[in-house]
Amino acid sequence: MNARTTQSIELIDYPQPGIYDELLGDDLRPRPAARTLFDYVNRLGAEELVARREAVDAAIMAMGITFTVYSEAGNIDRAWPFDIIPRTMSKREWDRIDAGLKQRLTALNLFIDDLYNAQRIVKDGIFPAEVLAGSKNFRDCCRGMTPRFGVWAHVCGTDLVRDGDGTVYVLEDNLRVPSGVSYMLENRQLMKRLFPELFKSSDILPVDDYPTQLYDTLAALSPRQDDRPVVVVLTPGIYNSAYFEHSYLAQKMGAILVEGSDLVVKADDCVYMKTISGLRRVDVVYRRIDDDFLDPEAFRADSMLGVPGLMRAWKAGKVGIANAPGAGVADDKVVYTFVPQIIKYYLDQDPIIPNVPSWLCMDDTQREHVLANLDKLVVKPANESGGYGMLIGPRASEEERRKFADLIRANPRNYMAQPTLAISTAPTMVGDQLAPRHLDLRPFVLQSNRLHVTTGGLTRVALRQGSLVVNSSQGGGSKDTWIVDTGEA
Amino acid sequence: MLSRVAENLYWVGRYLERAENTARLINSTTQVLLDLPVNASFGWDVLIKVAGLDAEFGERYPQAGEDSIIRFLIVDEDNPSSIISSIHNARENTRTVREVLPMELWERVNSLYLYIRENGARALIGRGPRDDVLRTVIGQRESIVGLLTGSMSRDVAYQFIKLGRNMERADMTTRIVDVNSAVHLPADSALAALTSERAWISTLNALSAYQMYRNHVGVHVRSHDVAEFLLKDPHFPRTVRHCLAEIEGCLSTLPQHVDAMKQVRKAWRRLDGMKLEGLTSPVLHEYLDQVQADIGAMHAAVARQYFHLHQRNNGAGENQ
Repeated sequence: MNARTTQSIELIDYPQPGIYDELLGDDLRPRPAARTLFDYVNRLGAEELVARREAVDAAIMAMGITFTVYSEAGNIDRAWPFDIIPRTMSKREWDRIDAGLKQRLTALNLFIDDLYNAQRIVKDGIFPAEVLAGSKNFRDCCRGMTPRFGVWAHVCGTDLVRDGDGTVYVLEDNLRVPSGVSYMLENRQLMKRLFPELFKSSDILPVDDYPTQLYDTLAALSPRQDDRPVVVVLTPGIYNSAYFEHSYLAQKMGAILVEGSDLVVKADDCVYMKTISGLRRVDVVYRRIDDDFLDPEAFRADSMLGVPGLMRAWKAGKVGIANAPGAGVADDKVVYTFVPQIIKYYLDQDPIIPNVPSWLCMDDTQREHVLANLDKLVVKPANESGGYGMLIGPRASEEERRKFADLIRANPRNYMAQPTLAISTAPTMVGDQLAPRHLDLRPFVLQSNRLHVTTGGLTRVALRQGSLVVNSSQGGGSKDTWIVDTGEA
Repeated sequence: MLSRVAENLYWVGRYLERAENTARLINSTTQVLLDLPVNASFGWDVLIKVAGLDAEFGERYPQAGEDSIIRFLIVDEDNPSSIISSIHNARENTRTVREVLPMELWERVNSLYLYIRENGARALIGRGPRDDVLRTVIGQRESIVGLLTGSMSRDVAYQFIKLGRNMERADMTTRIVDVNSAVHLPADSALAALTSERAWISTLNALSAYQMYRNHVGVHVRSHDVAEFLLKDPHFPRTVRHCLAEIEGCLSTLPQHVDAMKQVRKAWRRLDGMKLEGLTSPVLHEYLDQVQADIGAMHAAVARQYFHLHQRNNGAGENQ
């Protein structure tokens, strides 16, 4: 560093041996995709950067970008924790990931469609019948259905992480009701509002066409192709933690935000919404409610959130539902371990983005390995999301590990284990300095009659020092994600 | 438009108008009080009575003094019609219908809520800070209406907000006028005339109507002229007559409006028939009660026609 050091921003806790930093190389010089950003940040200086961060926090409060935290004291609306230092990635690397995500979702949709129909993959001995039998999210009532285009999961949030050697892995596929895309869009809006000068150069790729892409993906599911389809976003309501997103997406798409009580299924098996001029037919339901609560006639009878008869309407082909009921069968951490074989089986291709190496507890040999190495592994239950119910071996107490071993022995089908990855970091503002914080990336992948991947995705960052937990429900924050065209071929 | 959304929009309009008019009501009362000669008497409890909140207030406050009434009307979250509750309810309703509103509207309503939450306590310190806080509430609320006027299509969503706003406004105008019926004039007739004039000027000021009154009616402020103006003038935007015209205009754009329209016409005819010359306080009070009952009937007709398909799961918007 030179004379500029006095006003440029200081790095603390760097370097971190064995850990890949997204923005800084081993010599702590910015990687090509981060160079413009670092020049800018250093020119700005620590004081100005702190001032901008405070302005961002105020903007978040004013824009009311919130998520809800459930607690005994009631539901609290928290401001969305946001770090102003973006995470960068080169377009060259991103293009490969984009292709890998499309490959993966295409294969997963072929897999789900097969499971609900011929089950060729089971008959051919690639996917074990007992895994299918133990699946909580396999819905018997969906058997024999083939939704339009054979696609079940129309919106997928795929979590990616990078290990110490720089390899990017798929950590999990969220195929039920993945959330977070609105924060990706709002993060970019915030950055543009606060750092307009950064976006003058055109090498940061835009992200804002997602609502249009989502609308087109959904509209393609309409059973009435000749009309302008009526698309609704079905939300559990204002007390859901992702309500902000439901409303946001409806607004951006020009769709109608509905609650279960706004919809009714009549004897003609069509879905209608209750309007000021009576009932109006609905063509596509983008549902943000889990299968269990979707239709009290088909699933949980005590659901107050759903629409009685919705499954009947869907099976009669009178309404499109995204994601299709039953799509969650592939959103299972045990099924996850089979995705490389699934890609090979349906597409005859090798996976472009690898899975994290995993051990299945249902397999006797692999289970013994897991039980013997609990202190080194991360163990995950098959069907939880949001980071709940998992064991991070190296950080758990002897007692916690012993309890978890009992859980695994009692229900081996429900668990899988992975090595503890040296998850990558990016510089994050801590006071007026930059310190490394761990992060992941959740791109969103759309499929109906077309495939689309967001440019980048939602970067979630563990704001606490050393923490690996990025979920917003557990104290994580987020960053804007820049895919930068550095001109490399 | 979904019935649920229509109902929420209607209540966004009502709640915001209620917050603003409650602020106006308090400011006007404070003004009346400052202008009264020492031997004229006036009770703060009239505010609770005209707002129709005697029961709620009596349940939780032992005494009806300026401090407790101000607290009750501005920052008491258990009073469903306090300024903070009205703004909070408007905010929650806005949140559930953001997708049909201009993006900035949510930000403005949210910042109005954050303002009153942060500054509500300041309004309890004394009349100076209170005036300042209430004026800011009125100003921010006016900027919200300005935003809607300037950046929202005259679509069905707009009509429901406007419908709610004018329904509430007509009602609150009658209540603000009603404050005057609580002023007990001194025995001395010259002093009584002066006191009465001051009280009515305060009422006009509360409704930002004094200037327009002078331009269009005259410089002399007499009770029956002011009542005539605030109830029947077709041009000033806070008069009952003007609100009725606005309500009629909104309804005419909505489907199946026959029944609701009948109620508007009925209210209109009754208003036309009121003789305000030589008016006494008790008669005025009775007239105002009638107008309020007519507004209640209009509200019921609107609810029956447009909101009935949607059975609410909670009573958040139902409270008058």
